[in-house]
Amino acid sequence: MKTYSKKPTRKAEISTSALPDIIFLLLFFFMVSATIKPNEQLLEYENPNAHNIVRPDKKFLIKELTVGLPKMGNIGQTPRISDGKRYLEIIDIPQWVSMSKATLPENYQDQMIVLLKADMTIDMGLVADIQEKLREADARKIIYRTNTTEE
Amino acid sequence: MKIRKQKANQEVNTGSMADIAFLLLIFFLVATTLLQEQGLDLHLPQKKENNSTSTQIEKRNLFKVLINSRQEILVEGEYRKNTSGLKDEVKAFVLNNGKKGHLSENPKKATVSLKTNRGTKYATFIEVLDELKGAYYEIYAENIGLTKEEFLNLKQNDPKQYMLYLKSKKDIPMNISIAEPTL
Repeated sequence: MKTYSKKPTRKAEISTSALPDIIFLLLFFFMVSATIKPNEQLLEYENPNAHNIVRPDKKFLIKELTVGLPKMGNIGQTPRISDGKRYLEIIDIPQWVSMSKATLPENYQDQMIVLLKADMTIDMGLVADIQEKLREADARKIIYRTNTTEE
Repeated sequence: MKIRKQKANQEVNTGSMADIAFLLLIFFLVATTLLQEQGLDLHLPQKKENNSTSTQIEKRNLFKVLINSRQEILVEGEYRKNTSGLKDEVKAFVLNNGKKGHLSENPKKATVSLKTNRGTKYATFIEVLDELKGAYYEIYAENIGLTKEEFLNLKQNDPKQYMLYLKSKKDIPMNISIAEPTL
């Protein structure tokens, strides 16, 4: 008396139809929050560490200056300044400031923040020269980029 | 003649959609960086027009920190091996309110001066500046009964938190002056 009917073989697949949506969500997040890398990193630098760091809330005001040792060996081993695209000399800084300011909306131009990414081994003389030029060009808000350390 | 149209539901196969999106995602992950915008902020003084505008600060209201090219630190004329204890000294100096004769008259007049040599290493400068700013942030945080970490995480675009932030800084300006380095 075998009355059992054959169990139907059920397909137990997880629906993946929502996967593209999730991936797209991630994609959009990265597209919005990330910035495109500058063409090439010209300089090598290692930021110093600090505890008492701040994070500005108007991120579009930030313009970056890098100070460090050149990656390419053929231009020497003295610290150089770069804006991410090309090398700057000390005297180029006022021009860089005014060009950077021009990219901001007019009512924010005087609030530009200079993010100084400098290598921890460079001398203060160079940093002081940069600061002097920034003062001349009236870009006086400055942030020294540092890494976080836990106390 | 019978032509029977087959009414099959014609759906586009979306199985590979995830793959395409993954590809795009990975491209953006590789090609972009998140802007890392944390650090120590500072306001540089205005470019001086001539020397006559410089103001004289009374000796007791000035807390001098010097760093030389051998990374040695001199705090108020005293030689230091490292920055330990500097934060508490700055706090005592700023919050003195005229009690002790050699410290500041009041927080408004108190100025912390940090002077480096051209040969001072940037890392040493940042280390000392970090201590000085830490002292002020601790004062601000104590004013409104928060820890320093909570204070630093206040969101300034939130009106309520911004009011708190303003309240904490009332009458205590962060007078950290970066003097031009000596040769």
